[in-house]
Amino acid sequence: MKQFFLASILAGALALPAVAADYTIIAPANPGGGWDQTARSIQSVMQAEGISGNVQVQNVPGAGGTIGLAQFASQSAGNANALIVGGYVMVGAILTNKSPVSLNDVTPIARLTGEYEAIVVPADSPLKSMGDLVEALKKDPGAVSWGGGSAGGTDHIAVGLIAKAAGVDPTKINYIAFSGGGEALAAILGSQVTAGISGYGEFESQIKAGTLRLLAMSSAERIPGIDAPTIKEGGLDVVVQNWRMVAAAPGLTDEQKAAVSADVEKLAKSAGWQETLKTKGWTDTYLAGDAFKEQLAKDVSATETILKDIGLVK
Amino acid sequence: MSKGNTPSTQTRRPDRAALVIAVFLAALAGLIFWDTSRLAQITSYSGIGPATIPFVIASVLLLLAAWTVFEALRGDFPARERQEFGPVIWIIGGLAAQMLTLKPLGFSIATGLLFAATAAGFGKRKLWFTIPIGIVLCLGVWLVFAGLLQLSLPAGPLEHLFW
Amino acid sequence: MTTFDFLLQGMLVAAQPMNLLYALIGVTLGTAVGVLPGIGPALTVALLLPVTYRLDPGGSLIMFAGIYYGGMYGGSTTSILLNTPGESASIVTALEGNKMARKGRGGPALATAAIGSFVAGLIATLGLAFIAPFVVKLALVFGPREYFALMVLAFVTVSSAFGDSTLRGLTSLFIGFALAIIGIDQLTGQARMSFGVPDLLDGIEVTTLAVAMFAIGESLYIAAQGEQGPDKVEAVKGSVWMTAQDWARSWKAWLRGTAIGFPIGAMPAGGAEIGTFLSYATEKRLSKHPEEFGHGAIEGVAGPEAANNASAAGTLVPLLTLGLPTTATAAIMLAGFQQYGLQPGPLLFATNPQLVWGLIASLLIANFMLLVLNLPLVGLWVKLLTIPKPWLYAGILLFATLGTIGANPSVFELGMLLAFGVLGYAMRIFGYPIAPVVVGLILGPLAEQQLRRALAISQGDVTVLFTSPVAAVLLVIAAAALIVPLILRARGRGQVLSQLAANED
Repeated sequence: MKQFFLASILAGALALPAVAADYTIIAPANPGGGWDQTARSIQSVMQAEGISGNVQVQNVPGAGGTIGLAQFASQSAGNANALIVGGYVMVGAILTNKSPVSLNDVTPIARLTGEYEAIVVPADSPLKSMGDLVEALKKDPGAVSWGGGSAGGTDHIAVGLIAKAAGVDPTKINYIAFSGGGEALAAILGSQVTAGISGYGEFESQIKAGTLRLLAMSSAERIPGIDAPTIKEGGLDVVVQNWRMVAAAPGLTDEQKAAVSADVEKLAKSAGWQETLKTKGWTDTYLAGDAFKEQLAKDVSATETILKDIGLVK
Repeated sequence: MSKGNTPSTQTRRPDRAALVIAVFLAALAGLIFWDTSRLAQITSYSGIGPATIPFVIASVLLLLAAWTVFEALRGDFPARERQEFGPVIWIIGGLAAQMLTLKPLGFSIATGLLFAATAAGFGKRKLWFTIPIGIVLCLGVWLVFAGLLQLSLPAGPLEHLFW
Repeated sequence: MTTFDFLLQGMLVAAQPMNLLYALIGVTLGTAVGVLPGIGPALTVALLLPVTYRLDPGGSLIMFAGIYYGGMYGGSTTSILLNTPGESASIVTALEGNKMARKGRGGPALATAAIGSFVAGLIATLGLAFIAPFVVKLALVFGPREYFALMVLAFVTVSSAFGDSTLRGLTSLFIGFALAIIGIDQLTGQARMSFGVPDLLDGIEVTTLAVAMFAIGESLYIAAQGEQGPDKVEAVKGSVWMTAQDWARSWKAWLRGTAIGFPIGAMPAGGAEIGTFLSYATEKRLSKHPEEFGHGAIEGVAGPEAANNASAAGTLVPLLTLGLPTTATAAIMLAGFQQYGLQPGPLLFATNPQLVWGLIASLLIANFMLLVLNLPLVGLWVKLLTIPKPWLYAGILLFATLGTIGANPSVFELGMLLAFGVLGYAMRIFGYPIAPVVVGLILGPLAEQQLRRALAISQGDVTVLFTSPVAAVLLVIAAAALIVPLILRARGRGQVLSQLAANED
């Protein structure tokens, strides 16, 4: 045992100030998901564009990103080299999981990309338009099953908002949560559920192939290249964007914050990032500074209201 | 949890360790009932809520506990090998040491301690020899997996000398 | 051009010497990382994907295929030699494979795994090329109620890993179920059994449990035997290679494993491990040597390994034809494909034939390289077992924790590793089988979710579970598989069963 202590004392004495990588990005999800892909894309673009010499990505999966967020907030305070990727899903997860750490405990830098929700039905469905779907929902909310992602996530929230706007009790929606977009898509294609809701990218190739019918998009205005009305056009005031952002550690000085913001702006404006957005099919919804802060606050309060309405948050 | 020190029971008499297992199963069932009962009123169109399946599982665990008591009283459990607890404590201690030192001291030192403790559990007790060997070995592993293959393994003072 | 022309052209590109070298590098890297317990193919591919970006598209695609197959195969090596499954799909491999290794038959076990993986990969990749559109239609028939019926069938087959005591087997399974409750309920977002601990919200990681129960539990158990324990593991007894009898017993198992694994992998919610469970149960039923199961039956390695690899290729069916990533690995592959401008979906085969066939050709070549790399290494791997026990087990724990730390460097995760290791040890002392715990953790949540989804869609009408033809057939098979052995057991009670007692770990 003596050697044990000797070794640890020796090691402690050797503890030098860390010569860390330029940036360490926490992807608060498993490899393969949207946040992981965002983090790894940032990694390769930052390195390729010379914004940072060495970027490491670390996966801290769990509970809609709240585990990664909590770890990030507590362990990286004041560290200007630490970043975390996050998004709208985190807003809902913080509320449903009663997470002790919220987005107020980190330093949001900028929104990078976003995706709008698409509402689809199988090609052979009798429902031809968003109007038909809303009619059916009003008649018998239980008979309209919605296939989408995890409970309390963006898809679930959007369905709740639609029901509310249509005057249907949001607690009465028959929302079937699937793990991951793939499984939901299979259920929709197989006509296991009445309608499907998820990010447009999940459905894009099926819509183009004609196996799914796109009824509406959750954007504020029609999106060029997507042949579908917005939910708003149908008279329901619902706009949902599933955005992804990058945040820095809490407790940074103003200079540090400015430096990180500058690097992120350089990233977002770079040719390499634009190229990445194109290959991945992501939309550039870059928003930084006070405008982003304001938008974030608005999203948080709207989400809290609807989650209470659905009955997921007490 | 383990009452493994019971000597081999060849004769058919109540098996006390097995009774402890039954208590453990029943306690587990109770824990499930207690935790999920607050979710019992949530149901959806399915008619089964988040508490239904846990209730079923907990009920079966209670049945299994009763069955275990029955077999324990009949002495139906198989004979057990004699267990030596010294080695077990060495290894558990090594794992605990690794867990506690991983963040402050980095992967190589923490895992080197585990390495030495495990070797000690299997009879190599010369720690002045095995700890350095373990640390050097783990440093090599760290260099390959964290350095070359980009696996994120916590770095400590030793690793920072190289990277 | 016809399908054959495209494939031939792809093969010609993939078989250039430089590309063969890339394939070899990919397979080597994939095996090196995939061999770590706790690091499955998904993480392996995610970690190594950037390596491929530096190459031209052709070389990059082929190295990627190599990494994928290498990562898939890596897990079985540690399963067989060290009783430490690298990922959930190789848990079943450990059951028989490790028993073989301990009897000095590690060589044939590794060989049948490698060749079986190759055969299954070959057939399944060809299946991907020629019958993908048909298979995918079949897969879409599966909705929640069909999956629920499939899970019921899988539960029944699990009983073949129960060992000699129904009580202890069931208890293990239900401990697995109890652990499976932990975390956020998928369908309502409510936390269960988490007691306010955020680290528990996502439930218990299957790989953590498997590594802890098998690797750590096993090490503790062996250590506790002290000096009197079985000291010598005979590394090689007889030939390192497969004998004529091994071949005769393996080839049918490979084919059956492929036939089971491929369609299940193609199902959006199938998953590789379910195919391995079903394959193991099938081999046990059909074997001429059922008494060897639990003591190192080669079919029990050959079948599940083939099923595992076939289902990996099966996963590509929905991915390429529907753009459906059905596993974490597939999601990462999707990201990889996008890098090459390949946009999976129903139009892929029509709009981008060169790339698709290039990929399929790459998979075939990578599969072949895997065999080239691993067969000569079998002799070397087996030597691992000749390392003296203190160093061997110290090394096992080193790599077991390395995998867990690499996947998620959290102190809490290591704590769970320790706690479940102790649980695994305690269960070994009392003769409880380990595999059902892990199986319960995997299948429990799947079955619960599918049941609740099915009933939500039907608004609570239970009859839907039996009215779909596919579900009904699966349930009938499950009932038969449950009842027939019971009758047989009642008839032939006694001798055989008691001889098997207390040998399952």
